[in-house]
Amino acid sequence: MRELTFTAAAREALTEEMARDSRIFVVGEGIGVRGGNFNTTLGLYEQYGPMRLRDTPIVERGFVGMCTGAAMTGARPVVDFMFFDFILDSLGELINQTAKMQYMSSGRLKMPIVLRGSIGIGSASATHHSGSYLPMFVNIPGFRVVIPTNPYDAKGLFKTALRGDDPVLFLEHKLLLNSKGHVPEEEYFIPFGQAAIVREGQHATVVALGSMVRKVQEACDELAKEGVSIEVIDPRTIAPLDVATVLQSVHKTGRLLIVDENFGPCGIGAELSAQVMESGFDDLDAPVMRLNGLHTPTPYSPALEAAVVPNTQTILQAIRDLLAE
Amino acid sequence: MMTNLSKEQSLALWRKMLLIRRSEEQLAKSYAAGMIPGACHTYIGEEAVATGVCAHLTYEDAVFSTHRGHGHALAKGVPPRELIAELFGRVTGCSRGRGGSMHLFSPEVGMMGTSGIVGPCILQATGAGYSFKLQNTDRVGVAFFGDGAVSNGAFHEGLNMAAIWDLPTIFVCEDNMYATEVPFTDATRNQDVAARAATYGMNALTVDGNDVLAVYQAAGEAIQRARAGNGPSLLHCKTYRTRPHSEGMRDGGYRTVEEVEYWKQRDPITTLKANMIAAGQGVEADFEAIEAEIKAVVEDAADFAKNSPYPDPDTAANYIYSAQ
Amino acid sequence: MATEIVMPRLGWTMEEGTLVEWLKHDGDTVKVGEIMFTVESDKALNEVEAFEDGILRIPPDSPALGSVIPVGGLIAYLVKAGESVPFEKSSTPAAAQSPQQSLATAPSQPVTIAPTISSANGHVMPTISPRARRIADELGVDWKTVTGSGRSGRIIERDVRAALSQQAAPAAQTSQPVEISPVARRAAQELGVDLNELGAKIGDRRITREDVEQAAASRSSAPVSPPTVGDTRIPISRVRKITSERMSASSQITASVTLTTEVDATELVKLRKQLKGDASAANRPVPSYNDLLAKLCSVALAEMPMLNARFEGDEIVMSASVNIGLAVDTERGLLVPVVRDVQSKSLRQVATESAALIESARAGSLKADDMRASTFSISNLGMYEIDAFTPIINLPECAILGIGRIVPKIVVVDAENERTAIRHMMFLSLTFDHRLVDGAPSARFLQRIKQFIEQPYLWLVG
Repeated sequence: MRELTFTAAAREALTEEMARDSRIFVVGEGIGVRGGNFNTTLGLYEQYGPMRLRDTPIVERGFVGMCTGAAMTGARPVVDFMFFDFILDSLGELINQTAKMQYMSSGRLKMPIVLRGSIGIGSASATHHSGSYLPMFVNIPGFRVVIPTNPYDAKGLFKTALRGDDPVLFLEHKLLLNSKGHVPEEEYFIPFGQAAIVREGQHATVVALGSMVRKVQEACDELAKEGVSIEVIDPRTIAPLDVATVLQSVHKTGRLLIVDENFGPCGIGAELSAQVMESGFDDLDAPVMRLNGLHTPTPYSPALEAAVVPNTQTILQAIRDLLAE
Repeated sequence: MMTNLSKEQSLALWRKMLLIRRSEEQLAKSYAAGMIPGACHTYIGEEAVATGVCAHLTYEDAVFSTHRGHGHALAKGVPPRELIAELFGRVTGCSRGRGGSMHLFSPEVGMMGTSGIVGPCILQATGAGYSFKLQNTDRVGVAFFGDGAVSNGAFHEGLNMAAIWDLPTIFVCEDNMYATEVPFTDATRNQDVAARAATYGMNALTVDGNDVLAVYQAAGEAIQRARAGNGPSLLHCKTYRTRPHSEGMRDGGYRTVEEVEYWKQRDPITTLKANMIAAGQGVEADFEAIEAEIKAVVEDAADFAKNSPYPDPDTAANYIYSAQ
Repeated sequence: MATEIVMPRLGWTMEEGTLVEWLKHDGDTVKVGEIMFTVESDKALNEVEAFEDGILRIPPDSPALGSVIPVGGLIAYLVKAGESVPFEKSSTPAAAQSPQQSLATAPSQPVTIAPTISSANGHVMPTISPRARRIADELGVDWKTVTGSGRSGRIIERDVRAALSQQAAPAAQTSQPVEISPVARRAAQELGVDLNELGAKIGDRRITREDVEQAAASRSSAPVSPPTVGDTRIPISRVRKITSERMSASSQITASVTLTTEVDATELVKLRKQLKGDASAANRPVPSYNDLLAKLCSVALAEMPMLNARFEGDEIVMSASVNIGLAVDTERGLLVPVVRDVQSKSLRQVATESAALIESARAGSLKADDMRASTFSISNLGMYEIDAFTPIINLPECAILGIGRIVPKIVVVDAENERTAIRHMMFLSLTFDHRLVDGAPSARFLQRIKQFIEQPYLWLVG
């Protein structure tokens, strides 16, 4: 099986779907001739031209609203934000229009729009280029939120996003873009709402989001040397969120830690904690714990940047604390 | 201003304006009677704009409107029954009771939503233009918005995109001089909306919005241009609403009674009728017949709405996602 | 000073690039803005320009064309006329590494982060986790008497499961008695084999030296961290583990208070001397001080049964029997065999029983039943020259009496007439659980014990 980078895997999904459906077009800054700041559309402009690979002025609200209208009238837009932080300018369109359109039209209008961009802390990108802002989109009804953590998942989930009729936020952590992994040649889809158990274990369950999956695995490798076995779950999509898999795991292990570089307050960990507490109360041998990044805008200097996100050591400590409860 | 329209064509325009007028009067009455739980922004006085523009549109064309959208809905083909039932909150309304006045949806006739937010319709009409061009059709997108929208970022971003990409979109500004109660003269130093088009390199026309034939002609040009692939246009239609911004609101303080009277004298419906009769294009009886017909239609619609059931509360969470 | 030319970062997430072509050569003069070399990254070719004027110097060990260089990696130098370059200095290799560390990867500095971990605290003991409660219900375990090992003292799943094995099989109690030959026992000591574990594996028959040697050989040694010189490491024995759990639980659960008093034990000493000198009792064990104290305590406890009590559910149970646990130090650790019904046995009987129990304890042949059901305990550290101490209550008992050494001292026997005498003095330390009984009654109890010691006739008459 061949190895592709995360970016190449997602791009392959896009390429396949664009070839299959001429109604798919991509909109964003630099995604035309240049092929995207992160090479998301490399090579596609030469094939399809400007109508399907549309370079835009810096008008996030404008092109999100525009793509919403296009999706209402038969087209299937992909909005490529480059840095997901830029989506904030378009929140009014996204929340009041895009998310609500199916509901307002009683299902007679679909909203087949995919909104993608790079998220996350790393590369000293500083506070305007390091955001994820996930919980907001999970809280608002109408969105699907997808965070693949490896090339295999990236391709499979992107294919599903492009085939579906719902607005999908497809979020690609910037530290994972160059990571490599096996990607099958054959076509495959990964449905939303299916978490992956990336490591089986007995003593505790750790749910990890985005770039944290890798770091959690490193911590678990360390713990394995001491005979501690941890079950690691990668949700892959957080709306819909596969709570059933987490509950099953907690039924086995009795302990749960959620590791997420994003802010703690009202975060995905808080949501998952509440759901596990509600539905798995009698399986809990210890309180559900969360390890989040610091609740602060992201600093620039690498010394500070490293201090605001969980690392292998802090994850180890958090797991140990959980086991001691 | 007269154009070369036949009597039938002109009467059809008149009939449509009258349908809007009588429906809006019914809604104002229903509102006062407590039948409408939410907001109601009437289109009375502006009928010529919706009528003149939508006369050129088919169900395949897409109209995106604002909070003052009943006229656009009716002109585009939403049946009066469905409009009134929707405002009454019944399941038989065009939005199945989910939307009310400001979220009217009837995609079957190309009515792609009125909106409670000012601005998005401009962007969505641009998007419809993009979609139609991508799919190689001659369909057009039309945005109706007021003077209150032209200082909004959506206006700037939407018109700019439509212009640089030559999209088949028509931007119709219904300038009734007030955004709620803020005069247009306070909102911008340049009230010449059509002149803004030059900034974007776009075609534009200024139109007497109370003359349905003038609107019809200008809209015809713009729509034809769009269908031919020659890009977007902006229509600045100067008109006036003779009722308050929203039913239940006081209509005093920001404009004078004299001003309202002045514009009532330039009512598009009475004006067209008078002009047609004066030019020998119809007699009183023609108009009376239409009056009677419309009266019956609107009464029927109101009855239908009044007797329609409410939606089932169990369906409150339906249609959030496509799978449901 | 020479300016270092390093692999630049040409993309947000670029980590390395390939050196493609030199457009300038070693020794060339370069002006600001001129392209020095090209780099390929992410399939795009980039031109790298000079940011200052100078002479380009390429070290002989500069990366070859086509090689992949990490961002920040040294490629060449720009020098002013007359300046030297590091690679031409013969002696000091100096900055072989670029001071401009790669900033694309975060440096491995020790950073402390305050992760946001939520934890519970501040509970009335004991608490139990939902999971443990469910399992307790399912398995029919009464968890209220279980000791919790969760960090906040919470009863968690493993505590319930442990309690199940105790409650269901009382025979398999705190420590497992082991049948073992002396040779095997010595071998176990030498090889560091835990006899309790081995005994559990082997079952009923005697443990032989072969068993011990086999166990030592098959033991997988996997120290958690590399041994440091001088440290001694021993595996945690079963006795140690159990002692540790019980002591910890007692300390956390009980509201323990220790009262001390100094007692004139002269009469007690006389009494023991008489017993010792009784030739007709030559075949029977001489009652020890522990036996004497056990007996006199049983009398005091009969008078004050609230010191012979324990919690049971919503009630306090004052036991009719006085079963006294005697703390015995053995090779394997602390064991507490129990003499039952001391109140209805003579001193001789108590002495005989306790002697047998202590021998069993030292021999490692105590049965589980020998260590059950005590209602009061005695611990004597007098032989180690200890005066007073703070014994830990043996749950679920109410109190424990600690006995110190007997020391001849000069004491005031008649304060008014300022007369002194040499008396045999002894400290008693009574730790009681204030949850069950208050200070005053406990003090009265201790006072009674003192009285009994100073006036043995009072309890000897029965």
